[in-house]
Amino acid sequence: MRILLVEDEAPLRETLAARLKREGFAVDTAADGEEGLYLGREVPFDVAIIDLGLPKMSGMELIQELRAVGQRFPIMILTARPSWQDKVSGFKQGADDYLVKPFHVEELLARINALVRRASGWTKPTLECGPIVLDTTAQTVKVNGSAADLTSYEYKVLEYLMLHAGELVSKADLTEHIYQQDFDRDSNVLEVFIGRLRRKLDPENALKPIETVRGRGYRFAIARSDNGAEKAEAARPAE
Amino acid sequence: MARAASRRPLSLQARSLFAAGIALAAFLGLTGFALDKAIYETLRSALQERLQSYVYGYLAASEVGRSRRWLPPEIGPDARFDRPDGDLYAVVIGPVEVDGVKAEEWRSPSALRATLPLTEKLKPGEVRFLGPVEASGIRLYIASLGVTWNNVKLTIHVAENAALLDDQLDVFRRTLLVYLGGLGALLLLLLLATLRWSLRPLRKVSTDLTRVERGERDRLSGDYPLELSRLAANINQFIDSERVHLSRYRNTLSDLAHSLKTPLAVMRNQLDSGESGEELRWTVLEQVGRMDQIVAYQLSRAATSGHTTFATPIPIEPYAEEVVASLEKVYRDRRVLCEFEIDAGARFYGEQGDLLELLGNLLENAFKWAKARVLLSARPLSGRDPRRPGLELVIEDDGPGIPADRIEHLLQRGVRGDERVQGHGIGLAIVQDLIKAYRGSLDVSPSTLGGAAFTLRFGVV
Repeated sequence: MRILLVEDEAPLRETLAARLKREGFAVDTAADGEEGLYLGREVPFDVAIIDLGLPKMSGMELIQELRAVGQRFPIMILTARPSWQDKVSGFKQGADDYLVKPFHVEELLARINALVRRASGWTKPTLECGPIVLDTTAQTVKVNGSAADLTSYEYKVLEYLMLHAGELVSKADLTEHIYQQDFDRDSNVLEVFIGRLRRKLDPENALKPIETVRGRGYRFAIARSDNGAEKAEAARPAE
Repeated sequence: MARAASRRPLSLQARSLFAAGIALAAFLGLTGFALDKAIYETLRSALQERLQSYVYGYLAASEVGRSRRWLPPEIGPDARFDRPDGDLYAVVIGPVEVDGVKAEEWRSPSALRATLPLTEKLKPGEVRFLGPVEASGIRLYIASLGVTWNNVKLTIHVAENAALLDDQLDVFRRTLLVYLGGLGALLLLLLLATLRWSLRPLRKVSTDLTRVERGERDRLSGDYPLELSRLAANINQFIDSERVHLSRYRNTLSDLAHSLKTPLAVMRNQLDSGESGEELRWTVLEQVGRMDQIVAYQLSRAATSGHTTFATPIPIEPYAEEVVASLEKVYRDRRVLCEFEIDAGARFYGEQGDLLELLGNLLENAFKWAKARVLLSARPLSGRDPRRPGLELVIEDDGPGIPADRIEHLLQRGVRGDERVQGHGIGLAIVQDLIKAYRGSLDVSPSTLGGAAFTLRFGVV
């Protein structure tokens, strides 16, 4: 999952970015609104965290600009002023959630996960594809009811694939959204993770959950159990 | 002060005096003009009558001799005709005989020296009055008559020097000027006195305000005339609400300082008691959390205003729509349906930020607890002020509701009624503060939907 973090307070930005990286997110940071807008235009993020009081361009303007250029990724507002007037205008500009400073990082993580999940059309915090059930809150995976023991990176890869179940996910997508930018993209680490995931999820090689589309990427092949009816709801335009 | 540089607008007194002065000048000027005209006409027609009577006087006193010529009388009808320096002139044109000498014209002794334009012959029966006529340096009023007197055709001119009438007119004009000027000055003085008298309440308001500023008085007191009583009442309301604000700010500051003292004291005690490691960490974490809450609560309070004095009425629905649109994003997973039952006449008299704060906190609460439905109803109430209807807002949900014995506990400031769902737990305290600032009331009761109903009433006795 690739996150844009726009926050002008350096200590908060750095500790938050470090924490998000530890949680397995790919994080790009910006210290002001203009830098945030540049990144937000150029990079396909999964979610953005934007502080409202930013130098050069306010958070509110940044959100407006991002929506104006057609970026649809979910946006979480951070604000020190918890007035409803600010919240309402933030949502009007196209934000999807807000968090009042100071906050617990756990709460931020839970909310970001929920935003990303909703953006890909899943309404419930557990992603179910046949016998494979991924709980985004507890960050656990069960196959036929028994827990699969995944590392944090393996979990992130599976989560990304399942969020986009049925869709083709290129290797570049995966590395961009899960690893840090400076990660060596030519290495075969990804293939190694996919191989391990397949063995852990499907030791008998009966389910074949992850399909390799040769030369293009991977696809999570088991259909969603909630039949994706919420896709339309999730795609509802922002008010 | 940028205004001080530009010219100050004229004072009310100067404006009134200026306008009244112009009106007075116009009125007195026209009066003077009309009177002058009238008196001139009167003087002129009196002169005409007098001169004509002299004409007939000459005729009546004269005779026609045997030579069938007109014989002038020994003395004229006025002594001024017979003096060489007299200013009444008589000229008779026609066959005349003076002391046996025949002539075609007779002049009174006063007219002998002057070259007078009295040479015209009139037809019998023609009467004429002219004047003032200017000729060879002399201005005259002339009455003339053409007549056949005992078969002698005569034209009689009688003239008076215009200076006489002008003198009379001058005297009259001087008198008029004195009287009208006096009247004008008197009226202006009267006006000034009236103005000072009617503007006195305004001056009183302003000195009273100065006293309030200096702290010598609490508010504008005393009787003001009808036109000012509403202004004074508004100013008083404003002063009161500013005072409430000031005390609120003071309270907020001291609340903040005092409430931060407790967690600080707890942490200091722990440090002093030499605790270390995990236990100290937990204490600090707990107290930092408490301080967070305190700061967040006071910050939200700072954002609210509670201004009602000059508030414009704002409709409920658009703001409720905005709040619900936001909440539907945040609580998308909850699939809560929010319905409105908003009377078209419902208005909130206050700041829109405050309305958003009320709706936001209560609706968010309802969204958190609801199973599937939230209902917002709003309707106007007949209030204490006929120009400002009251307002009833009800926010209900179909959640678990609040047990009766918990309600009181919940309404105590700062108590967190929501331990299960994350949040700051300060929403309700802010709502209560706002309701207090707007002098409204809050009731919590079971809702027909099954959950809790929060009923807010504003502007009701």
